[in-house]
Amino acid sequence: MKRDYVLEPLGEMKAMYQAYHEEMVALSRKNGKIVLLYGDFPRGAAGELFQKEHPDRIYDVGIAEANLITTAAGLAGGGYLPFTHCHSIFAVGRAYNQIRQNVAFDKLNVKIVLCNSGMLWSFMGGSHQIIEEIAAMRVIPNLMLVSPADPVSTKKVTRAIAEHVGPVALRISNPAVPTVYRDDFPFKLGEAVTLTDGGDATIISTGMMLSDALEAVDTLAKEGIKVRLLDMHTLKPIDEGAIIKAAKETGAIVTVEDSSIIGGLGGAVAEIVAENAPAPVKRVGIKDRFGQSGTVPELKEEYEISARHIAQAVREAVKKK
Amino acid sequence: MAHDKKLIQKLAEKAKIIRRDAVEIIKAGDSGWIGGSFSQADIIAALMFHHMKHDPKNPHAEDRDRLIVSKAHCCETVYAALGEAGYFSKELYKSYGKMGATLQAHTERIVPGVEYSGGSLGEGLSFALGEALAARIDAPKDSSGRPKPRYRVFCVVGDGESNEGQVWEAVMAAFHYKADNLVAIIDHNKFQSSGTIEERMNMMPWADKWKAFGWDTAEIDGHDFEAILTALENADKVKGKPHAIIAHTTKCKGVPSFEHKNLHFCRLSDEMYAEAMAALK
Repeated sequence: MKRDYVLEPLGEMKAMYQAYHEEMVALSRKNGKIVLLYGDFPRGAAGELFQKEHPDRIYDVGIAEANLITTAAGLAGGGYLPFTHCHSIFAVGRAYNQIRQNVAFDKLNVKIVLCNSGMLWSFMGGSHQIIEEIAAMRVIPNLMLVSPADPVSTKKVTRAIAEHVGPVALRISNPAVPTVYRDDFPFKLGEAVTLTDGGDATIISTGMMLSDALEAVDTLAKEGIKVRLLDMHTLKPIDEGAIIKAAKETGAIVTVEDSSIIGGLGGAVAEIVAENAPAPVKRVGIKDRFGQSGTVPELKEEYEISARHIAQAVREAVKKK
Repeated sequence: MAHDKKLIQKLAEKAKIIRRDAVEIIKAGDSGWIGGSFSQADIIAALMFHHMKHDPKNPHAEDRDRLIVSKAHCCETVYAALGEAGYFSKELYKSYGKMGATLQAHTERIVPGVEYSGGSLGEGLSFALGEALAARIDAPKDSSGRPKPRYRVFCVVGDGESNEGQVWEAVMAAFHYKADNLVAIIDHNKFQSSGTIEERMNMMPWADKWKAFGWDTAEIDGHDFEAILTALENADKVKGKPHAIIAHTTKCKGVPSFEHKNLHFCRLSDEMYAEAMAALK
């Protein structure tokens, strides 16, 4: 039931931002066009390398996110490949028009790293945890949106978006997360990864919630409910085919995200299912509320997005079949 | 040092042509931003027909100088300058602002010669800064080890536009990064959309603000070609700082009966068209 490229037991805990930087260090050896930009943000391993070896390809514009995004657009205009780094809440919030008008409008080759993405950045509280991220970004034309689940997939996503020509926003959560994938798991931008096979229901997860979704699958298996689990790492363009197949073949879908249930992954899936293969869809995510401080497990309980909430959502969805 | 009289004459001629063509463009679109297009026209002419290194037959040449008109609603004299320079056929003028037109209501990168898709004020100077930084990467170094930028970047900024906070984010960063291949020309025509800049949002004194941010700052008459060229050439000489040229201009300069009225975005009636063309003979 579990594909062989899913680690059992799960692998080492690691922060996705660290994995992203390891990949950027590797990429920088092959790609002399990469420019790293920061909004008064930690350099990371790649930044420290660039400061020593490529000081003309690293810039910090200070706490000025609008300038950060648009300066990156100008660098892309000048033939370079900029990656911007700042808190997701401030990129999406304070530089929304800049992303839309200076990057997406002309399809400039800028990669916007949404650092500390989502709602599970534990200590920082409600001003820094972002609910609106997926909904706000997926509605901008020409903008690819990706949301890897673990350190291994983060590296593959990073390499793929560097090769892709065009605007990309990359969600990277803050907390250390378990490694879910074997190094050689099948990965392609735009294609959902199947982790488990099952015909009773499908869980579609994005980002760091994947390990919680896996836990829910295991719990439900013991109750005789066989669940297909999909990792939707590419939110735009979303894998419509996999969603429609899941609706037709399993008849009930639960979406999982640390983002609002309004307009996020749940919204995207509901749109496709309603239009193509109507089936019950239950959205597990942030129920239209602001965040707060707490540990990651405490927050998952508080936001009702933990493994037990996911399992319960599946039971309810199955009842509606 | 005075410039060659023939050069000054040529630029005056070009400026008249682009003002006349801008009127045609606005007539085709029925409406346009005549005031701000005309106040910047002499600056545009000086850049496009003399000071900038560029080739209309090669709009994507890697080391071309860049012109970024951040106040992108004032597109008509930009289109006219690009048409006159030969970036595209003047046949395109009549499609301005219409369905399927290349010449959209705000300049966009789809137009040959346009570097920046504007319309959202306050953002162009940041874009210009990015281009200016790009020019220094992989550039040959001078004898003191400083990169010699591969191209220069000229950014026309509006004075009303300067209300936007992002302008000052770019100003701050350009100083920090010593972007001396970046020249901002402020089209200081003393008006913005709904009134004078002093009535609407008083930012006087003007030059002091740019100086305070550490820019090499000059103030000129923005309709005096001698002064424009001298300021641009001085900007080439001063190293280690970005350059601001505060150009005192008149909104709608070129048609005396329109000047000093706040003709921001307006319909060009047949009477106005005739008046303008008569003044620009």
